[in-house]
Amino acid sequence: MNTIRPAAVPADPSGGTSAGRPRKRLKGLAPFAGFTPAAVLFGLFFIVPLGLILVYSFWRTKDYSLVHDWNLGNYRTFLHTRTYIKTFLKTVVMGVLATVTTIALAMPFCYWLVRYVSKRLQRTLLLLVVLPFWTSYLLRVYSWVAILGDNGALNTVLNKFGVTSGAHRYLLYDNPGVYLVLVYLYFPFAVLTLYASLERFDWNLLRAARDLGATPAAALRRVVAPQMRLSIATASIFVFIPILGEYLAPQVVGGTKGVMIGNLIANFFAGFLLPLGSAASVLVALVIVVLLVIFRRSLDTGDVYAA
Amino acid sequence: MQRDADMVAPHGRLVRRLLTAYGAAMYLFLFVPIVVLVLLSFNTSRTVGFPLKHLTLAWYRLLPDDLLIQDALSSSIRIGLWVTAISTVIGTAAAFPLVRAKMRSRGVVRVLITLPIMIPGLLIGVSLLVLFTDVLKVQPGSSTAIVGQSVLVTPFVILIVAARLQGFDQNLERAASDLGANLVQRMRYVVLPLIAPGIVAAALIALTLSIDEFIVTNFLIGSGQTLPIYIYNQIKFGITPEVNALASLMLLATMLVFALGFTIPAVVRRVRLRRVVAAD
Repeated sequence: MNTIRPAAVPADPSGGTSAGRPRKRLKGLAPFAGFTPAAVLFGLFFIVPLGLILVYSFWRTKDYSLVHDWNLGNYRTFLHTRTYIKTFLKTVVMGVLATVTTIALAMPFCYWLVRYVSKRLQRTLLLLVVLPFWTSYLLRVYSWVAILGDNGALNTVLNKFGVTSGAHRYLLYDNPGVYLVLVYLYFPFAVLTLYASLERFDWNLLRAARDLGATPAAALRRVVAPQMRLSIATASIFVFIPILGEYLAPQVVGGTKGVMIGNLIANFFAGFLLPLGSAASVLVALVIVVLLVIFRRSLDTGDVYAA
Repeated sequence: MQRDADMVAPHGRLVRRLLTAYGAAMYLFLFVPIVVLVLLSFNTSRTVGFPLKHLTLAWYRLLPDDLLIQDALSSSIRIGLWVTAISTVIGTAAAFPLVRAKMRSRGVVRVLITLPIMIPGLLIGVSLLVLFTDVLKVQPGSSTAIVGQSVLVTPFVILIVAARLQGFDQNLERAASDLGANLVQRMRYVVLPLIAPGIVAAALIALTLSIDEFIVTNFLIGSGQTLPIYIYNQIKFGITPEVNALASLMLLATMLVFALGFTIPAVVRRVRLRRVVAAD
């Protein structure tokens, strides 16, 4: 469809054969003119700042002012400080665990949605999954304190059934709490991605496999699974990358034990340790870039957000 | 359809029941936190927590007189309107070439556009903070927050409007141009009216995103306040159900605007269809 151009557009009278080269080149760029404001916005306020961070990570502060001599000191400091590197590794492990859990939970959910729910209901149910995703991220994190905390919902329910008595909190202010909330926050991402590809799946293939004698399990494993590989990779990327930069969830439900790399970075910048904070940010960005390069094939993102 | 599903499941009915129960459980997981948040806003006790003693609307009545909240609300709305205007204009302009220009690397451009959504907001926040405070020497405040939020929100607008444009029948434009309409006229009388519902939907979603945005705003707002920043500060220093009441109203508002964003295109389509049928 994009190959069709408005052929019948009346030619610009001044743009005849006498027009020189530059005019022709300008005409070739005309279809892209709409990108200009976006390019300015993203160039100045997205690309340039990220470049700045990279530059700052090689500078250093002396007596609270920035010294522009290039060195690797910040990276050395970061990599040689036990708590920093431990937090960094923990963040990666947490990210992997939360991503795997999220996908494992979303997979059967999407399968149910696509195969056992009528088409009309599917739209509504999908919208219900997306709804929390569009509502305040802060409020959704905070609401877990009211569930897991002392005198929280869980505590009250358990007391009522006589399982426990008194005020207790569960999972809160430690890593498990962060893990739970991350899974909660990113479940909709995974559902959106996986649903988009399962919905397009031609289930006749499954029928064909069964007709040809495959057992139900084998049919699912050898027909559906290979086609899902790409969308699982996409979903993983979409969940894992934002988790690397989480700082609100660990702060609100993680307490001091649940600190992640995002909290370190936020603290560095709050303490005006710009070069050290930049170096830590670059390390996170580096992981992201590596992932994006590895998984570049599975990044057809268009229909995920426009669902 | 459902027979198909049963075909691969040796215990079809059992599997269906199990999966349906599982689906329902996941909805509980998604919505229980929100329900709890709202429930606690009706509690009479001063501290946020269970058990609910009695139900009251007292916390909601406190809201309109709270000066801090008034402040935060008005700056949230002001920032939200700016971000909506900026991102809707820039995003709509970019959606056209994304869908229509001849490009070999459309996929790459798409990925580039999604990057600001995908990259952790933290990185966008701190890097913009460095740019504004250390390089440009601009005091953080509403205007820096507006810029930061626009970077986050514009990609959503581009993707939503692009999705509408994709379904646009370009023959209509060709017909208009055969009838002598120039580019401006074609845009004004053919294209924009037809994709207007999509643009309105994108603008509404941009507004909700801006009003709920916390991560980037927190770095760029300086000493200013928006509603999420206000709530965040309250969470840090211990809260009363008044914050839950505010949060519940915000959730309600977001969901309403979001629902509007999703239903407007469908409703407009239906009304137009009816008009066309009636005209015939």
